[in-house]
Amino acid sequence: MARVLITGAGSGLGAALATQCMGQTAAEVTALDLAPGKPGPHWVVHDMAARDSCIWSGLAQDLRARGPFDLVILNAGINATGPFENVALDAHQAVTAVNLHGPIRLTHMLLAEELLAPHGRLVFVASLSCFTGYPGAASYAASKDGLASFARALRRPLRKSGNICVQLVCPGPMDTPHAAQHAPKGAKADRRLAPGIVAQKVLDASRSKFLIVPGFGATMAAALGRLFPQTMTRIMGRVLFQRLKARP
Amino acid sequence: MKKKTLFVTGGGSGLGAELVRAAHRRGHHVLCTGRRAIADLPSDFPDLPYLSCDLASAGGAQVTADWVQSHLSGRRVDCALLNAAAGYFRPLSAETPEAISEVLTLNLDANIVLAHRLSGNLEGGTLALIGSVAHKGAAGMPVYSASKAALDGFGRALAQEWRGRVAVRVLHPGPIATGMSARAGRKVDLADRLFLSPRLMARIILDAALAPRGRDRQIIGYLRALRGQILPLGRQAA
Ligand SMILES: NC(=O)c1ccc[n+]([C@@H]2O[C@H](COP(=O)([O-])OP(=O)(O)OC[C@H]3O[C@@H](n4cnc5c(N)ncnc54)[C@H](OP(=O)(O)O)[C@@H]3O)[C@@H](O)[C@H]2O)c1
Repeated sequence: MARVLITGAGSGLGAALATQCMGQTAAEVTALDLAPGKPGPHWVVHDMAARDSCIWSGLAQDLRARGPFDLVILNAGINATGPFENVALDAHQAVTAVNLHGPIRLTHMLLAEELLAPHGRLVFVASLSCFTGYPGAASYAASKDGLASFARALRRPLRKSGNICVQLVCPGPMDTPHAAQHAPKGAKADRRLAPGIVAQKVLDASRSKFLIVPGFGATMAAALGRLFPQTMTRIMGRVLFQRLKARP
Repeated sequence: MKKKTLFVTGGGSGLGAELVRAAHRRGHHVLCTGRRAIADLPSDFPDLPYLSCDLASAGGAQVTADWVQSHLSGRRVDCALLNAAAGYFRPLSAETPEAISEVLTLNLDANIVLAHRLSGNLEGGTLALIGSVAHKGAAGMPVYSASKAALDGFGRALAQEWRGRVAVRVLHPGPIATGMSARAGRKVDLADRLFLSPRLMARIILDAALAPRGRDRQIIGYLRALRGQILPLGRQAA
């Protein structure tokens, strides 16, 4: 039976991924989050922002008992939105800790502990912001671009060393608690993708595909962002940042 | 030419030291910070305010920001060149948690703190973030690549947020002959002869940072160096 590790499995996309893994593939799911979630998977409580090496050794011990993993999805992420200088520094530092330091440290640990099974998959969840830019969430944009570049850099070495397939998911806005909290006022929830659909795309993706951009709208935005990066960021500034700024 | 106030991190050696020298030669007022002690600065280093402070340490960036503000006495920072960085040329399996944390903290988090703390002082000026062409994802240096890509994404967002108030530019140099690459653990080979000299690179970067207009994100490599040679007119104006 396939062994799966999902971070940030308590809500949103992570929860959808966990549910679908258990339902459809009868996988043995290890779900990581700040607190245990719905019964079903095996819960491991861990703070991705942890700096203390004892906490990480504790996690290594927990995971050794559950691995090696055939599928690892590094999905946990937080955001801090608003004009950069008006958002407290602590919030920015928490974003880079959870979204960038944590996943890189966890990946390093999975390699060191040989917890990635040969022929397995290692999936990083970044964001559509990697293509469009994200004014109004500068530290979040930073963390997700960093994660995407990390995934790119790991792709070849990991394929060579254990035929491990590295993949990058860049979802656009999803209908999750995260989006509801950070979308500008008046944004239409029905235009956001359901996390279940994104989860399905991730789980179904062929190993030959590195980049996964779920949904037509996101695919178009990514293509435009590639062709006209600066224009796309200016548009994001107008449609998103100006409205975030107006938020009380 | 109007005298400007510049702030350079990692200015005690490598590219940073050349940036400091070039700016000083042009008559600008330079505030410089670095990790090394004052005693370890090159003997011909220009006489200017220097703070020795580890930007990867807890609170290091805050101390640095305090120091800059204490030296401004009401002036603004016309240009902050956030250049200090570290990275290792090695696979992820050869990294350590401490080194990962150091590289991400120095190359990303410290710059976020400095940008945040100095945002008011930069009004009307330029924030130049020194990235690297490795930001696209270099298989030989995954952590460094991640840190520089993160800096790029940060600058990209901030450039848009601050447009019209502070010019934010992410300048991505190609390989420079500062020895960083050898220190990072890369074998010295033929390619090293193609590295641009830190002196030339510093001139181009300073021009790009001080130019009244420019793209938010720029690659600074051979093409740029050539353009500078062929079209030198007005480039020194800044
Ligand atoms: N060299 C290249 O081929 C290359 C290519 C692309 C981009 N870059 C980028 O260009 C910039 C300059 O690189 P370089 O070649 O001059 O590198 P370098 O010779 O290694 O210099 C790095 C500078 O950062 C300072 N520094 C290192 N750790 C620090 C810390 N913990 N706290 C404060 N300062 C610290 C160093 O100070 P001390 O010397 O005092 O320790 C030094 O001045 C960096 O952003 C680098 O990533 C370099």
